[in-house]
Amino acid sequence: MTTPTTWRKPPFIASPVLRWAFYIALAAYLIGTIATLPIDWERASEGLTRAGRIFSGAFPPSFARSDLMITGFMESLKIAILATVLGLVLSVPLAFMAARNIAPKPVYFVGRGVFILARSFHPVIVAIIFVKAVGFGPLAGALTLTIYSIGFVAKLLAERIEEIDFGQVEALRSVGAPYLVTMVYAIVPQIMPRLVGLGIYQLDSNLRASAVVGIVGAGGIGSTLANAFGRYDYDFALAITMVIVGAILISEAVSGKIRKNMT
Amino acid sequence: MLEINNLVKRYGKGAPVLKDLNLSVQGEQLMSIIGSSGAGKSTLLRCINRLVEPTSGTITLNGTEMTTLGPKDLRRARRRVGMVFQSFNLVDRLTVMENVQSGRLGYISTWAAVTRRYPAADIERAFELMERVGIAQYANKRADELSGGERQRVGVVRALMQRPEILLADEPTASLDPKTSEQIMSLLRDLANELNLPVIINIHNVTEAKEFSDRIVGMRYGRIIFDDKPAALDAAQMDEIYAGTPSQDRQDMGAAA
Repeated sequence: MTTPTTWRKPPFIASPVLRWAFYIALAAYLIGTIATLPIDWERASEGLTRAGRIFSGAFPPSFARSDLMITGFMESLKIAILATVLGLVLSVPLAFMAARNIAPKPVYFVGRGVFILARSFHPVIVAIIFVKAVGFGPLAGALTLTIYSIGFVAKLLAERIEEIDFGQVEALRSVGAPYLVTMVYAIVPQIMPRLVGLGIYQLDSNLRASAVVGIVGAGGIGSTLANAFGRYDYDFALAITMVIVGAILISEAVSGKIRKNMT
Repeated sequence: MLEINNLVKRYGKGAPVLKDLNLSVQGEQLMSIIGSSGAGKSTLLRCINRLVEPTSGTITLNGTEMTTLGPKDLRRARRRVGMVFQSFNLVDRLTVMENVQSGRLGYISTWAAVTRRYPAADIERAFELMERVGIAQYANKRADELSGGERQRVGVVRALMQRPEILLADEPTASLDPKTSEQIMSLLRDLANELNLPVIINIHNVTEAKEFSDRIVGMRYGRIIFDDKPAALDAAQMDEIYAGTPSQDRQDMGAAA
């Protein structure tokens, strides 16, 4: 027997018949989808000229009503900060409930259930519901982003709790410490860096999202933007968009810097 | 005095890890438990403070029956049993003082614990004990800044803060280099003498076990097959303790029955 000199990585699907059948089926489905989707090409080409009109109307951007913009932006910032703080405060107990290694089974399912629910709807949908429930304005926005923060922070925090060094919990149990004290001494120090990191990231993320949920009426700069579009003030809309992009760039840089220095 | 009778521990449906085990520890003596990995040494130690729930049998510590205690009484009873761990199990991100004071968390209120308002007497005792083992200068350092030997000293002081009636040490030197390992062993022996404290040590290093113990217990697959003074442990008994595999052991028992 000779030693082989060639080697090929085993294919992803072992049987060649199955493999080619899969590729052909995938291609056929893609072609079928494009062929049957009701896309109105005429309307789309018409849209291009319309887009041209919007963009020509947007230049040069107008900062004439910058006071309106600043008010809207400050409101977005307040919404983002409030939602982040509220979200973090609610996330911590929820994360403890939803960590498999410390919560009893029924509590675990309740905890998981809450943030699966919080994650299952896009913030825009949640915002629409809250706008209906509590009316237009920043309250709806803050509530929406609180839910959004819980879905993200509680889930990742629960996963962090599941990764802790359990020996520290064991040590605290062995000295006869009560339940709450065991959590505070053995678990909180281990998850603290992650909690701070998530909080900074979430503030950044909420600022972004507050612009989006504003469009459906949940307050902040998004509402200002939606109003500008509604009044065909494309130059003002462009100015707002530029401010949003600028703010996100700044917050991205700041949060990145803080998170880097923290670890 | 610690009295263990007919102790059985079975994980799930498998063969029991501890098989009808009897052991009595009197007064202040340093007792070492030796045996190969999987012999049940760790399980035995953890059954005593019920970090592992025994399946059946009784464990009595100075008159308190440990196996039947409810959650609240169990916490009270655990305050009387100190434990030192192989991987130290310190809270890395807390200071040495907070780790040392952890030993008192069964006594102080939740509020005092969370706000770190430790009683003056506890702080005084902490400094005395840290001085005794040579780590007082690290009180404000974070636990993960210390070396292995220093970390295990913190572990020992944390256990002693409990003013325990017995000290359990689960392979306290297995993560340490030989020299540090000897230092920790002699520290445990000296403390046992100074504080009149019975100490049970799980240990892999038989030479150290013989050097530092008053009594050696040899375990093999859930049973105690040797229990005597260190001098009585000879090569033949060593072979007996460290020989065989679990499956072979089961066959032997089957043949005997």
